[in-house]
Amino acid sequence: MEIKTITSAHISTFFNSLVQSGKVVVAPVLKQSGKVFFEPVQSYDQVSTDYIQTAFSAKSVVFPKVEELFSYKKKEDGDFDFNSDMSDVPETVVWGLRPCDSSAFNYLTDFFLKENPDTYFKIRKERTTLISISCAQADAACFCTSVGLNPGSTAGSDILLTPMGDTFYAEISTEKGKSLIDPALFTDCAEKNKDEYLANVETRFSMDEIKEKIQNAYESAEWRHESMGCYGCGACAFSCPTCTCFDIQDEGSQESGKRLRCWDACGFSLFTKHASGHNPKSNQTARRRQRLLHKFKYSVENLGVVSCVGCGRCIRVCPAHLNIFENILNVTKA
Amino acid sequence: MSEFEPKIVAFVCNWCTYAGADLAGTSRTQYAPNVRIVRFPCTGRIDFMLLMKAFENGADGIIVSGCHPNDCHYTSGNFHARRRWIVFRSLLDFIGFDTDRITFSWVSAAEGKKWAGLVDEVTDKIKAKGPFTDLDKLDCTKLKEMYDEAIAK
Amino acid sequence: MKQLQNKVAELFADGTISLMIGFKNSISGQPVPCFIENASETEQLIYNKDCKNNLSVYLHKPEVKQAKKIGILANIATLRSLVQLTSENQFWDIEKTVLTINDQEEVLVFGNMEEVEAYVQANFPEFTEEEKKLLEKLEAMTREERWKYWTEQFSACIKCYACRAVCPMCYCQQCTVECNQPQWIKLSAQTTGNLEWHTMRAMHLAGRCVNCGECGRICPVGIPVHLLTVKMNQDLFEEFGSRSGYSLKGEYALNSFKTEDKEGFIK
Repeated sequence: MEIKTITSAHISTFFNSLVQSGKVVVAPVLKQSGKVFFEPVQSYDQVSTDYIQTAFSAKSVVFPKVEELFSYKKKEDGDFDFNSDMSDVPETVVWGLRPCDSSAFNYLTDFFLKENPDTYFKIRKERTTLISISCAQADAACFCTSVGLNPGSTAGSDILLTPMGDTFYAEISTEKGKSLIDPALFTDCAEKNKDEYLANVETRFSMDEIKEKIQNAYESAEWRHESMGCYGCGACAFSCPTCTCFDIQDEGSQESGKRLRCWDACGFSLFTKHASGHNPKSNQTARRRQRLLHKFKYSVENLGVVSCVGCGRCIRVCPAHLNIFENILNVTKA
Repeated sequence: MSEFEPKIVAFVCNWCTYAGADLAGTSRTQYAPNVRIVRFPCTGRIDFMLLMKAFENGADGIIVSGCHPNDCHYTSGNFHARRRWIVFRSLLDFIGFDTDRITFSWVSAAEGKKWAGLVDEVTDKIKAKGPFTDLDKLDCTKLKEMYDEAIAK
Repeated sequence: MKQLQNKVAELFADGTISLMIGFKNSISGQPVPCFIENASETEQLIYNKDCKNNLSVYLHKPEVKQAKKIGILANIATLRSLVQLTSENQFWDIEKTVLTINDQEEVLVFGNMEEVEAYVQANFPEFTEEEKKLLEKLEAMTREERWKYWTEQFSACIKCYACRAVCPMCYCQQCTVECNQPQWIKLSAQTTGNLEWHTMRAMHLAGRCVNCGECGRICPVGIPVHLLTVKMNQDLFEEFGSRSGYSLKGEYALNSFKTEDKEGFIK
């Protein structure tokens, strides 16, 4: 881990140099609707700095909402041309992730690459650099400290910047991060304590306690009550930085077409419906229970980690404002 | 230099307009060959999404035509269709779709000449407007394309 | 608040309801829908101008319908939805008790749907200033500008179907997008597919939407989807005099016709 410092005045220079270098720079942008989204930008003055969390995660950089897996076209001789060329996936820098978001990339990497490596994800991830910014503020929906993270965590990021008055404290964790550092802008410095510059995120529960209690949560009678308000849309899954479910759609004709990988959500009523017509999760209670247990129990069993990073997006984006940590607490009340 | 030949898709009802088009044919009336006719039992069967899908699949212009009011073979199909068209046309205009590219008409089985004239008129109109490109390049799945677009803005 | 809580407790006590759908405070300060199944929980109930969710959508949910006797707290838009849904015969299998809080902050309990209809007709809501402004702005644009506006909006759509999920009028057991033989509406969240979805939805709701504005309010990416159906309702009222959520015997404009319907664009 390398530690450096950069003045606040130089941040925009650093940012703009990333854009000049030819990389695609994706950063938080304030939209007309008042929400902040990750979008490709051309200069630092487009970047929004005054927000607590973006509406959606940055996972679309490595796991796009619609991804073309391949396309086909009929040739004159009747044979087909297949194209799954990914050479034009650009070098990308994601700027302004929160520590919870960059930690989520670790989970995504485990999920997509551990057992059966997904080429599409692999190529995108290799070409992506993550520059996170610590949280100076949090709101009632944030709960990263309950899932083993904190507002100044370097997990998953290539560079973590912490605003400290008129400088930014930079913690560079990877070679990729190192390659972006311009010695003219960044200077070495001693290790500093970030605590006074970080938000105070209320701890809602102890993860160790939950891990134990959740083993018996399946039968809890609270699930029904907790899930009544769920509308069954996909907003929570789509805004979540660790949700990875997808659907494969073929669009085209006999002449040409493409195969697409699209985001899918376990909240949809037909998500688990079999071709036979049987639906093992035929009511919203079962579906919501599946989603929460997946985050807090099944991911632990499958990949060794809790897949929720406490970013709070599902709470903010839910039309019924269902609260994931309140739900977990209620179903694990012994 | 080859002139632009528009692709016109016509959604017509079997009993009136299709028969009218047939009459134009048997009368050896000459008219623009650009139209591709899709036959429906009644205009009441025409789903509004079909119009959008025709454009997605390469149509430059659309004709929707059926029996005159009170002459519907199924009594009231065209009345329902008329209401649907009024609403759909307003929606399309609201979202900025070029409703000039869609022509609605009543053509009866005896109006072969009217059909031929209609096709000629629509073909000329769309030729003057040029190919329909509003739906091209709307979908981009590659981040780089998005980036290029952002720069162009 | 106390009046509401006491009233609901009474309804539980005399067996009129076994489930109450209302609002409670959430940890982030925003009111959220809540479901109460006995009188001891009535202290959670609140009501203020931030209670915007249209709760009538929950009356379609199997988990809720199990209760058979359901109380529901409705604002004026929700009352309109209830009238519209009743005219579409959607409440044949539940007994519901409808409550509202009027401008004088009194709690009203309706005895039957006719009383709800009368109340709605007496207090029929107009478009909000915000809606009027945005509609005017859009109508003042040229066609090309409107196309640019809407395609830009739709490019952000992620097909989460939250707009469908919160809409009380979208109660189809299997939505058109969920039929895949043929796959009528593209499922992928690309602009063309998004355009197809929103156009189709606006048409299926034309004349049925009650302008609660929920779809546009809760859209996670901020698309004002409610404007599409608001515009449709405006048109249907101007063309055919039809108004959704106004009468229990209301006729659906696209299910009916008049031989004298006029249009100027059919050759």
